[in-house]
Amino acid sequence: MKTPALLEPRASALLDDYVADLAWSPDGARLAIAGGEGGVFLAMHSASKSLAIRQLGEHGMGALAVAWQPKGEIVASSGQDNAIALWDGASGAEQRRLRPAMAWTEHLAWSPDGTQLASAAGKVLSLWTPAGEPLHKFDAHAGAIAAIGWDKPGRDLAAATNGAMVIHRIEPPQYATRQYKWPAGCQTVSFSPNGRMVASGMQDGSLHFWYLSSSKDSQMRGYPGKVHLTSWSGDSRWLASNAGNDIVCWDFSGKGPEGSKPAQLSGHTERVECLAFQPGGAYLVSAGRDWRLTLWWPGKAKAAIDAHLTDSEPSCVRWSPDGRHVAVGERKGKLTVFELVKVG
Amino acid sequence: MATIDRVPVTVLTGFLGSGKTTLLNRILSENHGKRIAVIENEFGEVGVDHQLVIGAEEEIFETNNGCICCTVRGDLLRILGQLLKRRDRFDYVMIETTGMADPGPVAQTFFLDDDLKQHFMLDAIVTVVDALHFEQHLDEMREPGEQVAFADVILLNKTDLVPADALERIERRVRAINATAKIFRTQNSNLPVEKVLNVGAFDLDRALAVDAAFLEPQYPFEWAGVYQLEAGEYSLRTGAEAAGHQHGESHDHAGHVHGPDCDNGHVEHHGDDGTHDAHDHSGHDHGAGLGLLVLPAAAATADALVQQVEPAVRAFAEEARTVACEGVLHPGPGLNRIDVAHDGTHFTLQIPQAGAYAIFCEHAPAEFNLRLQGRKPAAERAFASHHHDEEIGSIGLTDPRPLDPVRLNDWLSYLLKSRGADILRMKGVINLRGEDRRYVFHGVHMMFDGRLERPWGEGARRSTLVFIGRNLDRHELEAGLESCVLPTAAK
Repeated sequence: MKTPALLEPRASALLDDYVADLAWSPDGARLAIAGGEGGVFLAMHSASKSLAIRQLGEHGMGALAVAWQPKGEIVASSGQDNAIALWDGASGAEQRRLRPAMAWTEHLAWSPDGTQLASAAGKVLSLWTPAGEPLHKFDAHAGAIAAIGWDKPGRDLAAATNGAMVIHRIEPPQYATRQYKWPAGCQTVSFSPNGRMVASGMQDGSLHFWYLSSSKDSQMRGYPGKVHLTSWSGDSRWLASNAGNDIVCWDFSGKGPEGSKPAQLSGHTERVECLAFQPGGAYLVSAGRDWRLTLWWPGKAKAAIDAHLTDSEPSCVRWSPDGRHVAVGERKGKLTVFELVKVG
Repeated sequence: MATIDRVPVTVLTGFLGSGKTTLLNRILSENHGKRIAVIENEFGEVGVDHQLVIGAEEEIFETNNGCICCTVRGDLLRILGQLLKRRDRFDYVMIETTGMADPGPVAQTFFLDDDLKQHFMLDAIVTVVDALHFEQHLDEMREPGEQVAFADVILLNKTDLVPADALERIERRVRAINATAKIFRTQNSNLPVEKVLNVGAFDLDRALAVDAAFLEPQYPFEWAGVYQLEAGEYSLRTGAEAAGHQHGESHDHAGHVHGPDCDNGHVEHHGDDGTHDAHDHSGHDHGAGLGLLVLPAAAATADALVQQVEPAVRAFAEEARTVACEGVLHPGPGLNRIDVAHDGTHFTLQIPQAGAYAIFCEHAPAEFNLRLQGRKPAAERAFASHHHDEEIGSIGLTDPRPLDPVRLNDWLSYLLKSRGADILRMKGVINLRGEDRRYVFHGVHMMFDGRLERPWGEGARRSTLVFIGRNLDRHELEAGLESCVLPTAAK
């Protein structure tokens, strides 16, 4: 079969830090970077071969998360200094530094319309305005929050905890809470783009998903270890998850995945550590401890359709919002932007 | 799994006020040049100026394998995961738990999570024991016993606040719970840092180090002495006579009932505070009395004493005659159980004819200050006895015969499944049939890690297993080990 698309490296740069998290600007021209050793950086991506990097500031011993406001210019970052910082993505100026708790804010997520920033520190989930004013602080969850995520319309905000997927309604009836309980540690939050379900990888080596209309749930077992990566294809047909060196894709077309055998994508020779479907699209990128960035086309091609060797272990992979570029950050600080190029 | 340099992790446990934080500060201030990340419990208070102090809420996750004892610390998974996101790693991680913490989930976290297993290595569980309050805590709560049971290194701390004889007794109780940990007596948590760091307790490459005495045959008594006696009556007494003076607060605790003193002349007052001493805290159920046996011996020599050991073991297996305070004891093969429920009990030993007599005592006489009036033994000997009344204890097994790998696997699997909740720690070096290398394993509850390691070499091949846990049954474990001696049935 003819390869339909390739990833072509367009620009790269070396940061003096570990790339812990990455966030694209809405226009796909810039990247915000959280450094594992504390730095917060801004990278300008232009047609030239290089990425212009500047450091905006720092978060003590380590930055943990970075999130760029959709349709806006505000970059939120958090770190081991227990702070959340808000930066102007245009000027790079620090606008506000919040210290909401004596705990690490490990997760940041903007609502899809960019009007609300959700942050999670330990068991506490909070909402902020883009200016950093507190909007709401939810009652403490029963367990620490391992991941947060918004559904596509921004109606629901979910928190993955040990023992339950907790879904908070953000639209009226505002802040009503549903708990989808399951006695294991939820690791991820992945709403399907069609809004029908939410999926979570589990600490105990399983995948769980809940049908939002009926609260029915299903468990997919047999993973070799913790499932900490989940990603939906744009058409909500495929749910990709990490399974050791392989990627397991469940097919939600027809009767759904229950009782079916998933597509297993094999190609990495070490554990898969990053996994992301193209926003609105059908291509899947993965990166692993084998220092390989790999492009897949689930349902169409069983084997990888493209692969690139990185300079060190990849630590973060993010698609640009338009699905045209992929940014890859590495443990040793290299940042590379690839372009998805259609062939023929 | 790739063997990259794994970051050693020390887990610090101990009751509030035991000296845990003092030890932590000592390590941090003495170890300049090492990058140590400290994960502190939410009530912790590391006082030194140390950059890498991370607060943790102790969050226990149950794993979903149907076993309630398979719990891990979710907060550690997250924090340690974040600490890996650096180009250079820390040299060391110290985890301080809250005073009431069960160290099990912390240790299990390092068995259960692949990422942590690959990047971190549990080095040792270090438990700081407050010698002044330990016995009271041990009798009232379950956590102090668990913290001692899990430990690889135990600091018997605040020794300056406890009289020497009490310290002996406390150390015996600590040792009765955990037969394999290294015990250091300390004041103000002061000891060389290398005794606590890089201990390698979970390192399978380091052979199991167990006090040899622990693996000796077990006796139902802890002490025997042989005396040369004339015919006549001798007074046998317990309780205060020259016991150490007690400092600080009273050790009297609720539930300790002082019986009427039946020998007022014996009570001595010490010092100007007028308190009298030796309220026994050893935890033995003294209401049940102390097993005591007096046997004639061929001579008042160590050899003659040893000759009477076997008959004494038989006698200790029989029903005992209860002897109340002021009762009479006779030499012979009948076991006596003498009343030591309060201080200063006394008995009359009637010796019908001159000769050598061996006295076998269930517990070390020092625990009761038991003494035969005016006499010292011509020879005496201590015996390894794991007979104790602690709920948590250690059992050691050793056997030179090669063990069948399939049967061993069956037995250990069964044991983990059926007794995993009660077995806190287990470790062993196994002489496997047809295998030149040692098989080494260790486990925490149901988590188990084992592998073949270096060859046996010149020395004798011998399996050694140690179990530390709650309500362990020595006979059950011995039978299990015995079942591994037979070869697997041919199929």
